[in-house]
Amino acid sequence: MHRCIALVLAGCILAAPAFAQDLSGFQFHGFVTQGFLFSSHNNYLTMQSSSGSLQWTDGAVSISDSVSDSLRVGIQLHMYQLGQLGGPNVRVDWALGDYKINDYFGVRAGKVKTIVGLFNDSQDVDAVFLWSLLPQSCYPIDNEGFYLAHTGGDVYGYVALGKRIGGLRYDGYVGEDYLPLDGGYIKQLADDGLQFTNEPSGKNYGGDLRWETPLQGLMLGYSPMVMGLNGTSASGSLRVPTFLMTAQYAQYTRGKFYFGFEYDRVPVSEIVTLSTEVISFPVDARSWYGMGRYRFTKKIQAGSYYSQYVNKATDTSLPQNYSKDWVVSGRYDFNSYFYAKLEDHFLHGTGLGYYASTNPNGLKPNANILAAKIGFSF
Amino acid sequence: MTNRRQSRWAIALASFLTCCCGLKAQDVMLVANKNVHVSEIKTSDVRAIFTGEKTRFADGSHAVPVTLKGGPAHEVFVKHYLGESPDEFRAQWRKAVFTGQGAMPRVFDSEAALIAYVADTPGAVGYVSRVTPDDNVKLLVALK
Repeated sequence: MHRCIALVLAGCILAAPAFAQDLSGFQFHGFVTQGFLFSSHNNYLTMQSSSGSLQWTDGAVSISDSVSDSLRVGIQLHMYQLGQLGGPNVRVDWALGDYKINDYFGVRAGKVKTIVGLFNDSQDVDAVFLWSLLPQSCYPIDNEGFYLAHTGGDVYGYVALGKRIGGLRYDGYVGEDYLPLDGGYIKQLADDGLQFTNEPSGKNYGGDLRWETPLQGLMLGYSPMVMGLNGTSASGSLRVPTFLMTAQYAQYTRGKFYFGFEYDRVPVSEIVTLSTEVISFPVDARSWYGMGRYRFTKKIQAGSYYSQYVNKATDTSLPQNYSKDWVVSGRYDFNSYFYAKLEDHFLHGTGLGYYASTNPNGLKPNANILAAKIGFSF
Repeated sequence: MTNRRQSRWAIALASFLTCCCGLKAQDVMLVANKNVHVSEIKTSDVRAIFTGEKTRFADGSHAVPVTLKGGPAHEVFVKHYLGESPDEFRAQWRKAVFTGQGAMPRVFDSEAALIAYVADTPGAVGYVSRVTPDDNVKLLVALK
């Protein structure tokens, strides 16, 4: 379905210049990054990271055109390799038509990035962050394709409420979500013997409300999302009954400082059927992070965050049911286009980012991880 | 021809002054296409238009924000009117572009090029240093 939408939108974009008065609204942007990961113990994110791994590349190109004052169409193609995840397939990151009736109300339709929490919709846009890896408790990079975007429609807008109250930015959506075949969840299921050839999918709906408070730089937000998943294959099936996930967050920017905080809760039950065996995995994921960043000069910024994930539906004293990560990070911008990042993780627990197939001898509960990245964006 | 020569001298003088002296908020002025009906604009609306929150002026007409690539006037404008650093401003627009939520404002290397575009484009609004005069664009008064 999303291939059809992408084709239609690509056609619109190609045809748009013929109808537009000029090409002044046409834009072409892109980015590419190359990362390096080294871990003291364990292999992280399906890479052979304990030996040092360069299997961490991504890139995207986007084109968009403002067909009229109110209508904009665009598409972004994305490709990534993260260890054994991703690969040579180019995927449609988003492809949409955006009709903005006025500042209070607009509509987007197609494949649209899903706004959840502070960074869900932008988590695959490396160029905008100080961090090489966003807090993995809320934004696990090995599963970033899951609810990154939905095929459907959004309504959105901004309502100014005056100097004393601030402003409200809202987004509401309904659509369909897909579990990418080249992502981490599918790999884990494949490691357990359940291999899919078609993406499990399900309906989702939700929204995001951001209050830009009268205190300049302070924003508070809340994102609820309801979704479920179903998938079948020759070896079995996956069923995730409809569940509600929520994210509450705040960010504060003042001068050269930035602070962010987010708390997510995902209570979900995964039911996996393998032949005649039915296995239920209860999950009550409580994830949060707090981060701070300071820009020393135009070119240099540094920061730190703490990120924690706990599965409250299980024994939380076991390392496989939690992940606690202290991170320090620095970024150097050579110019407006090129940048480099260096980051150190002090990771406790093995609840996120580890795979049995790349750690056949088991996991140690703690690991230090060095991440480095260079990127180019235009 | 004489006007064009005077304009070039003024732009050269503006560049010299902005290089030699630090610009202040009052040294940066808002310019708009002559068909823009409003003559005054709230600072909060300037911020909303240049960050993509609003796409229209107070009278409902379409606004087309344009920016300078860099330089003292750009730094002063972004800091004073938007309350951000130029890097945060750029990162914010990059995020909008790569998430499909917006299209980046057109960027100009020089004030002369920005003024020429604003003069030719209905709804266009930008900023230049105060010492760059031009009769082809309209000045907007920013209100607190």
